Amino acid sequence: MKKGVFTICFICLLIPLISFAGTPLDSVKAQINKVLDVLRDPSLKGEAGKKTKKAKIRHISDSFFDYTELSKRTLGQNWSKLNAQQQEEFISLYKQILEDAYADKIVTYTDEKVNFGKETQLTEKTVEVQTVVLTKKADIPINYRVIQKGDEWKVYDVVIEGVSLISNYRTQFREILSNKTPEALLETLRKKVGKA
Amino acid sequence: MKTLSFVSMLLLFLFCFSTQSYPETLSSSEAKITQPVDISNPQESEQEIKLNATEVKSGTIKAETSPENAKKTGNFVQETSKQEVIEEEEKDETVKIADPLYPWNKAMYHFNDKLYFWVLKPVSQGYSTVLPEDMRIAVSNAFYNITTPVRFVSSVLQLKIKDSVNELIRLLYNSTAGVLGLVDAAKEDLSISRKEEDLGQVLGSYGIGHGFYIVWPFIGPSSLRDTFGKIGDGFLDPVNYVSPVESSLGITAYDKVNTVSLHIGDYEDLKKSAIDPYVSIRDAYTQYRKKKVEE
Repeated sequence: MKKGVFTICFICLLIPLISFAGTPLDSVKAQINKVLDVLRDPSLKGEAGKKTKKAKIRHISDSFFDYTELSKRTLGQNWSKLNAQQQEEFISLYKQILEDAYADKIVTYTDEKVNFGKETQLTEKTVEVQTVVLTKKADIPINYRVIQKGDEWKVYDVVIEGVSLISNYRTQFREILSNKTPEALLETLRKKVGKA
Repeated sequence: MKTLSFVSMLLLFLFCFSTQSYPETLSSSEAKITQPVDISNPQESEQEIKLNATEVKSGTIKAETSPENAKKTGNFVQETSKQEVIEEEEKDETVKIADPLYPWNKAMYHFNDKLYFWVLKPVSQGYSTVLPEDMRIAVSNAFYNITTPVRFVSSVLQLKIKDSVNELIRLLYNSTAGVLGLVDAAKEDLSISRKEEDLGQVLGSYGIGHGFYIVWPFIGPSSLRDTFGKIGDGFLDPVNYVSPVESSLGITAYDKVNTVSLHIGDYEDLKKSAIDPYVSIRDAYTQYRKKKVEE
């Protein structure tokens, strides 16, 4: 009997190790399903409903995305040209631009379905999860690149129809930083979000 | 019996506890846990060396390892990710495209932009109030069906036998069961999805690069290679064999309006999300075509 109890306790101790992190696919699935639940919520209708939806999606995206990682990878080598304070401001401005751009788009979706595909290991800590959004007009492949942070998988890049989000912005930022200061870049971003 | 129920309670409790509290305990002690692991990992030190090599080579990211920055960015986890970032950026270089015609391209970009907002968009919006979306989707299916020769020949030239056969099946099935191509029945009934192929991709698959970026009026972003591809595609598009030329052009224009009517808002979103729309579109085009060639 004593031995049995000991075994069970031992198994209990192992459980957290097994459930550790989960698979990238599972966590992407869970977050996307959360978004879909919000989009399909019948109680959220009209303009007011849209606003609530946007706020809720913003909340989900906060825990789904790693904006610091996303910002670093977007700027790449240029990241070090920004001082700590500039980096912080960059992250928050960039985040706002992305949210403004995509939240509007996402809330127009209602009856779209999402198919989940396979996971591809990119590096030791990063994985790409394939999904396809099925709309009436076309099937749009959207891949999420996630990185393991502690026990969670966080998105640091979204690849839509083969176009990597961070790589697209990187090209734009690089062009700006090639002949302007980081402060000028921030000023451009501030203008973009209407904070100048 | 009592012990058993106690144990099962304990099990339940532990399970809930472990799944809920683990994130916090872990993130707070992240550095403690990961650091020793990283040090013991020989690959990591190799990466460190590689990182230093890149630094010396480029000379631009030296500041990142200055003591102040090291204090700020902290532990080894970030160091690794920095390495990955650089690797990713290097990979990214291959997606770049030359733009020697920049003044022309920029002018054409503005031309197409105005064409969209002043002509195409209002016309398409008017058109979409007349014809419901489902019917416009049917029209676009029919146009897609007509251009099968482009995709069939392109698949054959890449020796993609399965894709070539699929194109033929799609053509036959959609032209009959799909009522002259209005319904994509092959996708619904036979699960044979669309697969875009064109001669630009064929050239790409033969190892021919873009050459340089070029924006055409009315047509939009392209490259030297894809322009040649597009000309070839034109010969394979039955619509171009309709005579007189006016009818052929009329059909093409109608196709364009119909397509735009299904995608109103996409271009606006793209412009809205971009910091520099011209650069964003150029990059998106290059990445998109690269993926198409690789597929």
